[in-house]
Amino acid sequence: MTTLISIRSLKKYFPIHEGFLSKNTKTVKAVDGVSLDIDRGEILGLVGESGCGKTTLGRMSINLIKPTSGEIFFDGVDILKLDNPGLKALRPKMQIIFQDPFGSLNPRFTVERIIGEAMMVHGLAERSNLRSKVTEIMQKVGLPNSFMNRYPHEFSGGQRQRIGIARALSLHPRYLVCDEPVSALDVSIQAQIINLLQELQEKENISILFISHDLNVVKHLSHRTAVMYLGQIVETAPTKILNKNAAHPYTRALLAAKPSTNPKESSDHVPLSGDVPSPLNPPAGCHFHTRCPEASDRCKTEQPTPFQLEERHTVQCHLYN
Amino acid sequence: MPTRPPLLHIENLTTSFHTNDTVVQAVRGVNLHVNQAETLAIVGESGCGKSVTALSILRLISMPPGRFDSGQIKFNNQDLLSLSEAEMQKVRGNDISMIFQEPMTSLNPIFTIGDQIGEAIIQHQSATGAEARKQTLELLQKVLIPSPETRIDQYPHELSGGMKQRVMIAIAIACRPALLIADEPTTALDVTIQDQILSLLSSLKKDSEMSILLITHNLGIVAQFADRVNVMYSGKIVEEASVDSLFENPMHPYTRGLLNSLPKDDSESKLESISGAVPHPAFLPEGCAFHPRCKDAMPRCQQQPPLTNATKENTHKVACWLYEEGGEGL
Ligand SMILES: Nc1ncnc2c1ncn2[C@@H]1O[C@H](COP(=O)(O)OP(=O)(O)OP(=O)(O)O)[C@@H](O)[C@H]1O
Ligand SMILES: Nc1ncnc2c1ncn2[C@@H]1O[C@H](COP(=O)(O)OP(=O)(O)O)[C@@H](O)[C@H]1O
Ligand code: SF4
Ligand code: SF4
Ligand SMILES: [Mg+2]
Ligand SMILES: [Mg+2]
Repeated sequence: MTTLISIRSLKKYFPIHEGFLSKNTKTVKAVDGVSLDIDRGEILGLVGESGCGKTTLGRMSINLIKPTSGEIFFDGVDILKLDNPGLKALRPKMQIIFQDPFGSLNPRFTVERIIGEAMMVHGLAERSNLRSKVTEIMQKVGLPNSFMNRYPHEFSGGQRQRIGIARALSLHPRYLVCDEPVSALDVSIQAQIINLLQELQEKENISILFISHDLNVVKHLSHRTAVMYLGQIVETAPTKILNKNAAHPYTRALLAAKPSTNPKESSDHVPLSGDVPSPLNPPAGCHFHTRCPEASDRCKTEQPTPFQLEERHTVQCHLYN
Repeated sequence: MPTRPPLLHIENLTTSFHTNDTVVQAVRGVNLHVNQAETLAIVGESGCGKSVTALSILRLISMPPGRFDSGQIKFNNQDLLSLSEAEMQKVRGNDISMIFQEPMTSLNPIFTIGDQIGEAIIQHQSATGAEARKQTLELLQKVLIPSPETRIDQYPHELSGGMKQRVMIAIAIACRPALLIADEPTTALDVTIQDQILSLLSSLKKDSEMSILLITHNLGIVAQFADRVNVMYSGKIVEEASVDSLFENPMHPYTRGLLNSLPKDDSESKLESISGAVPHPAFLPEGCAFHPRCKDAMPRCQQQPPLTNATKENTHKVACWLYEEGGEGL
């Protein structure tokens, strides 16, 4: 396998203005120094609690948000250094599916236009063959042909998410960011969409950054998993290894917090104490030290750096270094 | 079998909403009971009628457009639907209280935490202000809010989502209700905060005789937290069982579909999924509402199957023709 996406020391700081007269600005360190690789045909799961920076990282990786600093390579090309024509040529190769199937589709467009528009813009279809191309993609994602001339409000959440997937896939992307694509859906519909994504990914060998807060879904779908806490990646490992041998205390806490669907498997773990600190004012040293059951004095002042435990298993914690 | 009669016994409850051009029956002839000191879960997908069931118990459905078409809601053997509004007011908060899915919107932004918990105490116990403050501090400690002396004078916006939900729980248990209704109490929260709230509810349950009616769509929470479970689909209870029995031997094709669609450990295999989607409540199919999605549907399914005992011990009920006399089961 070879690397398709390579992210280096990526940061995104958002300035926050306190009241409109005040000159005081604070910064939210939404993403604070992330390095990650995604291989061709790999599904990388990205998990973490709300506000930890998953969406910001995902959007930066396809150039929807400009980073504060850092580098993003797509197939060896630094996309932050590309000029406009270069970016336009790259655009269809990097696509995103959003969490909210309701908000992400234009309510005044028919399904045909929603799916077809981007293909026209990028010259992947012409008026004459648009309908047949749209039909083909709709079939691929399991949408009946009869939906072609209908509007988003006429569809259920699962159907709208299929439309979103069809729109993204119509451009034959090589890299797809899925930002919580099933979180808004009912359990019985989630399985349909997960199966669809898995099937399409295998067929087309797309690389996927799969963002979720549901560890079960990530465990099922992703080859490798990265765990994020307050703007940083604290652990990355092949999914099986992460679930069996999680090294970072936060990863272990996340796994223990997940209620098991086997009533006989009762867990008598102690819940993690405290709240996720605000990214406006993250704790010094290891960001996790205020909640970590294993924190020592060193953790309060000194930031841990990524340490490679084994091949492809990296952890950012003083316990290992 | 419980020696005492159930604390709550709902019989044949139908709650509907009437708007200009449509009638939606959100709850369609529901029977369920909650025993003393037990946790009953209601599980089901969005729109199946879980919240309307809960709000019906407390008579918090606005009428119109809402309407009770049939049924009784017996609490300690008294039909709540026959009480006057004044009598009902006494039941709310004193005997039955409720926590909601959105801790963010269910606290009043212009009053402090202390005011809001104190008010619940004063309203229901005729306590003085000083007594109420003392009790409020004790409650904040009980729901494990750090530095309660500071928090008591803060406003909701100064608290995180998890802390707001703790405050909601403090208000709900202030008068030691016999029944706590928790409608998706952790759905809006992060996994580690959800874990904290569930562990708090577990410990409160252990130290009291309180019964809990827990509404959730999370089967993990059901498995870990409830004693018994009712599965709801399109306004009806389709299966009722002890938690162990339901997870070991799910009977209704919908329940089986739900359990099978959960991601499993061997990530290689495809997930099983239920085809189609939940029907719109204004346009329900005839008979068993699940039949358009059911792999086992047969001509008889055009009629509504009753919820009947499926085991000799009367511990597992299911509403599906496969298990009626002459049916083969699965
Ligand atoms: N005030 C109302 N007017 C009209 N219809 C209503 C009203 N309240 C609820 N309904 C309808 O009743 C049905 C059941 O709603 P309910 O809120 O009980 O669902 P739920 O099972 O709690 O779903 P969720 O998991 O999304 O909370 C839905 O179809 C809903 O749209
Ligand atoms: N446009 C923005 N302006 C200011 N702050 C933002 C903006 N977008 C995101 N943030 C903040 O950055 C942090 C990370 O957000 P996000 O990436 O959306 O997290 P996640 O997807 O993990 O929930 C949060 O504290 C969020 O409030
Ligand atoms: S560095 Fe210290 S505080 Fe951070 S996770 Fe490791 S042990 Fe815990
Ligand atoms: S009654 Fe018929 S349609 Fe309904 S669940 Fe049973 S077999 Fe399926
Ligand atoms: Mg997000
Ligand atoms: Mg609800």
